[in-house]
Amino acid sequence: MTLLEAIDKNLIKVPLTSSSPKDVIEELVSLYADKAGLLAGKKDEIVSRVMARESLGSTAMEKGIAIPHAKIDGVSKTAVIIGISRLPVQFGDSEHKGSRIFFLVLAPEDNPSEHIQILASIAKICSSDLFVRMLESAKTADDVYQLFFD
Amino acid sequence: MKKTPFSKILVYLDGSEGSMTALMYAILLASSVKAELHASYVVNTKALSELVKARVFVNQEKLEYMEDLKKDAKRHIRHSERLAASKNVDIHTSIMEGSPHKEILSYMKQHGIDLLVMGSVNAIRSRREELASETDRMLRTAPCPVMVIRDDYDIWAEFEEEI
Repeated sequence: MTLLEAIDKNLIKVPLTSSSPKDVIEELVSLYADKAGLLAGKKDEIVSRVMARESLGSTAMEKGIAIPHAKIDGVSKTAVIIGISRLPVQFGDSEHKGSRIFFLVLAPEDNPSEHIQILASIAKICSSDLFVRMLESAKTADDVYQLFFD
Repeated sequence: MKKTPFSKILVYLDGSEGSMTALMYAILLASSVKAELHASYVVNTKALSELVKARVFVNQEKLEYMEDLKKDAKRHIRHSERLAASKNVDIHTSIMEGSPHKEILSYMKQHGIDLLVMGSVNAIRSRREELASETDRMLRTAPCPVMVIRDDYDIWAEFEEEI
């Protein structure tokens, strides 16, 4: 599975309404949980796993992008949940001005190769200043989706 | 004597189901044309390093994923040896580290490979070069013919006892 195969219009939210890192993660996980029909307990477990990973070191990058991720037991295929915030969220340390673009990647435990390829593709495409500017200015989930399939 | 079309076949393994299907085709093809069969898995250390550089991974995570990838590689290589043995085909297996398309290209040149077999490549869904996969790049840069195997569950039946 590639990044493009993992992107799902129903797993994109514009704009995000949360203003703290944990709330952003919860908002993104909720989107996934609704789509996948997960029980509240599983949703909480995913949020905890992602936050535990963030505690090792923030996944906030340059250009206002953050790529929180975790391997989740019971996830059958890699899911990419995208959220764009109108205002920057202080994600992790104060080295960056804050993040507006979030890619939450939830991967199965048993396919490290695919997980790495998808994360690497996100990092690579976000190295383009133009692409990031277009993502930032996206008004709807459709706009975001279209940017990848242009 | 008529020359066989392919004498050294390499199948690229990336841990996907598609690459296992490609392996099965390669085994049967090598058997029928009496070609030498090679199978390689590349641990993508380049992507790991890039993810650390981009701050997506912390070092501890990089090491953990490196171990996961090496285990995955060994598992797939062992499986490919079992499948080849089931059809009485000798197979030269290898695990490399680096950028997959570059390592495979280098291996092909070094071993005189004249056919590369791989699992299905992705449909062109974006014009963005950044989103090209490793298999896309291999397909474009291979110095010899490339056989792309579409998902085909019929061939799995041929190896049913070994799966």
